Amino acid sequence: MNHSTYRTAHHAKKNAKPRLVEWRFVLVATVVVSVFAVLVMRAAFIQVIEPDSLIQQGDNRTKRTRYTQVSRGIITDRNGEELAVSVPVRAIYADPKIVHENGGFDDMRRWKALADVLGQDLNTLRERLSNPARRFVYIQRQVSPAMASYVDQLDLPGIYLRNESRRYYPAGEVSAQLIGFTDVDDKGIEGIERLYNDWLTGTPGSRKIRSDAKGRQVEILDETQGESGKNLQLTIDQRIQALAYRELKQAVGVYKAASGSAVVVDIHSGEILAMVNSPSYNPNNRADAAPHKMRNRAITDTFEPGSTAKPLAVVSALEFGSAKLGDVIDTSPGWMRVGGSMVQDSKNYGPLDLTGIIRKSSNMGTSKLALSVPKEHFIDLYYQMGLVGDTGTNLVGESGGIFHERRRWSDFEMATLSFGYGLSVTTIQLARMYSILGTYGLKRPLTIVHQENPLPAERVLSESNAKAVVEMLEHVTLEGGTATKARVPGYRVAGKTGTSRKAVAGGYGEEYVNIFAGLAPVSDPRLVVVILINEPGGDLYYAGDTAAPVFSKVMAGALQMMNIPPDAKTVSSLAAVQGGKGNES
Amino acid sequence: MLRSKLEPNRRSLWQRLHIDPWLLLGLLILMGTGLVVIYSAGGQDMDLILRQVIRLGLALGVMFALAQVPPSFFMRVSIYFYFAGILMLVAVLLVGDIGKGAQRWLDLGFMRFQPSEIMKLTVPMMLAWYISRHHLPPRIWQIIVGFLLLLIPTLLIAKQPDLGTSLLIASSGIFVIFLAGISWRLITTAALLISGFVPILWMFLMQEYQKQRVLTFLNPESDPLGSGYHIIQSKIAIGSGGVSGKGWLQGTQSQLEFLPERHTDFIFAVFSEEFGLIGICLLLCLYCVIILRGMIIAMRAQEAYSKLLAGSITLTFFVYVFVNMGMVSGLLPVVGVPLPLVSYGGTSMVTLLAGFGMLMAISTQKRMMSRE
Repeated sequence: MNHSTYRTAHHAKKNAKPRLVEWRFVLVATVVVSVFAVLVMRAAFIQVIEPDSLIQQGDNRTKRTRYTQVSRGIITDRNGEELAVSVPVRAIYADPKIVHENGGFDDMRRWKALADVLGQDLNTLRERLSNPARRFVYIQRQVSPAMASYVDQLDLPGIYLRNESRRYYPAGEVSAQLIGFTDVDDKGIEGIERLYNDWLTGTPGSRKIRSDAKGRQVEILDETQGESGKNLQLTIDQRIQALAYRELKQAVGVYKAASGSAVVVDIHSGEILAMVNSPSYNPNNRADAAPHKMRNRAITDTFEPGSTAKPLAVVSALEFGSAKLGDVIDTSPGWMRVGGSMVQDSKNYGPLDLTGIIRKSSNMGTSKLALSVPKEHFIDLYYQMGLVGDTGTNLVGESGGIFHERRRWSDFEMATLSFGYGLSVTTIQLARMYSILGTYGLKRPLTIVHQENPLPAERVLSESNAKAVVEMLEHVTLEGGTATKARVPGYRVAGKTGTSRKAVAGGYGEEYVNIFAGLAPVSDPRLVVVILINEPGGDLYYAGDTAAPVFSKVMAGALQMMNIPPDAKTVSSLAAVQGGKGNES
Repeated sequence: MLRSKLEPNRRSLWQRLHIDPWLLLGLLILMGTGLVVIYSAGGQDMDLILRQVIRLGLALGVMFALAQVPPSFFMRVSIYFYFAGILMLVAVLLVGDIGKGAQRWLDLGFMRFQPSEIMKLTVPMMLAWYISRHHLPPRIWQIIVGFLLLLIPTLLIAKQPDLGTSLLIASSGIFVIFLAGISWRLITTAALLISGFVPILWMFLMQEYQKQRVLTFLNPESDPLGSGYHIIQSKIAIGSGGVSGKGWLQGTQSQLEFLPERHTDFIFAVFSEEFGLIGICLLLCLYCVIILRGMIIAMRAQEAYSKLLAGSITLTFFVYVFVNMGMVSGLLPVVGVPLPLVSYGGTSMVTLLAGFGMLMAISTQKRMMSRE
C-alpha cells in the first residue's frame, strides 16, 4: 500500500512515460537471456558438433609415441663367427630454433671446430641451420663415440647427440652380397639383413605418453616392453666362405673374367656352406659399391648350364629304362639331323658307353638318350632336379631360372635341353641338382639359416641309378676326362664341366660361361661345389682350364675344414700333399 | 513472497544488513566456482588460491561497505568522482607506468592502481546523475551531452591502450542512455553513425595489434602459431571437453599448458574442458540468475538515478560475461576482458563487487528513503 502510493507519486514526479522505461527493462532482460542462449549454442557447436576434429587436434598436441631403441641381432656363421654386429655410435642433430635463440653463430670459433671435426663446410652447415622454423636437422649420423664426445665438449647451444647403432661387418667383402647391409636407420635393405630384418630388428619398445606444451612427459598411457633383436645363425662356414672368395677373386683376376660365383653345399643337410661372388665391395664403406658388385649373382644371375646338365640325359634314360648301365651308344658320325637342325660333337667319338658319353661330353650321346625317353618324362626330370623354381633359401632376389613351358616340345628342343641349352639356371640351382645326385636321389630344399633338424627330403631318383651316374661323373676328372684339373689329392672327385656360349640378342655370342659343378668324396658324397666363371677374357676359356682348378682348391680346403676323411686309397696322404703342390705349380 | 518481503513492518535481517540475499548467494557460488577452476588452471598452486581468496575477501568487504551507503549519496558525489577520474586518466597518459605494453597504471607511492577501473563505476554514475536531473525521456541535447561525457573517458582509456575496458565503459554509458528512454529513431541514427565510424576507427584509431586481433578473429587459422594461437588452443580446449567434460583437474589442454592465459582471461576454456557443455549451461544459469536479479532490482528502484545506475551496472556485468565467453569460444575478437568473478585477478574484482554493493544499496535502502 505504501509502496503503491510511492510508486504513483514517483511516476508523476519523475517520469512522463514510465511504461516505456519498464518495457525497456523487459526487452533488455530478453536480450540477456537470448544472448546466453547463443553462447550455449556456440559451446554446443564446439563441443557436440565439432568436437571430433578438436579432440583430434588436442590429442595431436599432447599424445606422443616414443620408441626405445633395441639393438639389432647379430648374424653369425655356423660356428658362431660374427658376420654382422652392431656397434654403438651417436647421431649429431640440431634444433635451429634454439641455435638462433642463443645467439646463432656468434661464437664462430666453436662452430668452425664443429664443421672441421665433421669434415663439413661451415657455410653449408650454416645454410642448413638457417631456418629457425625447422626444429630438427641431422648434422651427421653414425659418428664415432670419440668424435661425439668432442662435439659434446664444444657445448654449442641447440646441438644435441642421440644414441644410435651402426652395423659392422667383420667379414667385409667376402660375404658382402650374401649378408647385405642396413641403411642409416638400421633397417636391412639388402641380402640376409633385409630378408630377416624383422627377426633381427625385434620390436622396439614403445611408450605412448601425454606430454605438456614443453614436451615433458606427464602421463604414460600405454607402454610395451621392447624385445631386442634375435640373433641369426647361418649355415655358412666362414672359413670355407673366405677360402672360396679368395680363390674366386684370384681366378676372376687371372682369367680376366667379368664376374664369378661359387657355392658350396653340404649334401646331407642341404645347408649352404659358402656362397660368394666376385667382384665384391666393402660393406663397411660402401663408397665403391656399384650395383653390379652388390648383386648376389649366385642366386640372381641365370645362365645356360651347358654340359653340366648332361648327366640328366643319362639319369633320365636309366630311370625310364631305355638304357642300361652296360649299354653302348653309337655317336658316329659325330653329327645328326634332328627335325631339320644339326646336332654335332666336336669330333666323331664313335661308339661310347654311358660313362664315355659323360666323360667326352658327347652331344650326340645325350641327344640320343634324351630322345629315347618320352618327352614328359625327360622334362619332368628338370623339375625333379630343382632346375626350375626356388631352391628353398628364400633369399631376396633369388631367380627361379628361365624355363619356357611349352605344350609341344620338338625333338630338337629335347636334344638341346639334353646338353644344357634352352633353359637358364642359377649357380645355386645347379648346386642343388648336384646335391640330389650326391644324396643318391634325395631332394631337399637348400637352407641358408641354421635349422635344428635337416628339412625332410623327397626321393626323386632311384639310389642305384644316381650312384651310377656319380661314378660316371668321376671319370670326368680322371685321365682322358675334360677336367683333370678338378682333381683333389686324396679324394675321389666327380663333376662336370660346362662351357656354354652366352646367349645374346639373335643368337649366341663370343662370350663364354665356364662352370664346374662337382662333388666329393665319390665313395660317400658330402660336399657339392659349383664354380662359375663368367666371360673369361684371357686365353683360357674352357671350364676345364678355368673353373676346374678353382673347384679343386675350394673342394680341397672345404673337405679338410669339414674333417672329411680321404677316400682315394691309392694315394697316400703324403702324396696327396705333394700332388696338391704339383697341381698348383 | 516478494510482497511479504516488502511488508513495511517486517524488516528482515538482510534488510537491516542492506544485503540482497539472492544476489549474495549467486555471487558466492560464482566465486567458489572460480576458486575451483583457478585451482585447476593454475597448476594446483595453493598460493594462487590464497591470494585470490584475500582479494575476494577485500572485494566483498568493499561490497558490504558500499551497500550501507544510501544511493542519494552516490548521486551527490557522482560529478566529483567523474571529474577526479578524468584527471587521473589524463595523469596516466602523462606519467603512468607501463605494464604489458600499455600505459594503464598510476603509481601512488604505496600502491599502483588503474584509474580506468574506477571509471567503470563513475561513468554510469555520472551519466545517470546527469540524465536523471531532468524529466525522462531525455531530450536530444541531453543525449548529445551524455555521449560527450561518455566519449571523453572512453577515448582516454582506448588511448592507453585498453580496448576491453574502454568497451565496457562505453557500453555502461550507452546502457544508461538506452534505459533512460532514448527513442528508436535516435538509436537507428546512432547505429548508422557508428557503422560509419568503424572505418575511421580502423584507419586512424586502432593500434596495429588491435587490428591484428580482429583479423585473427576472422580467420584464426591464418597464423596458428602467432596471433591465432590463443583462439585455436581455446577452441580445442572447449571442444575436447565434450558434453560432460573431462572432469576437474583432468583437462589436458589446460593442465599441460597448451592454453595461454588459462587462469585469467581464458579460464572459461579450462572450465569448458573440464566440465563440458553441462557445466557451461549451469554456469550460464548462474550468471543469468545474477543478471536477472540485478534487472529486478533496477526495475523496482524508485529513483530514476538508482534505476539507471542499477540497470547499467547489471548490464555491464552482462557485457563482461558475453564478451569474455564470446572471445574464448571464437565468436568475438580477443579483447582483454576477464570472466567476471571467476578469472584470477584483482582490480576488476574489486570494481565488480563495488558495483554489486551499489546494487544492494539500491535494492535495500529504498524503504528508508521513502520514510524520510
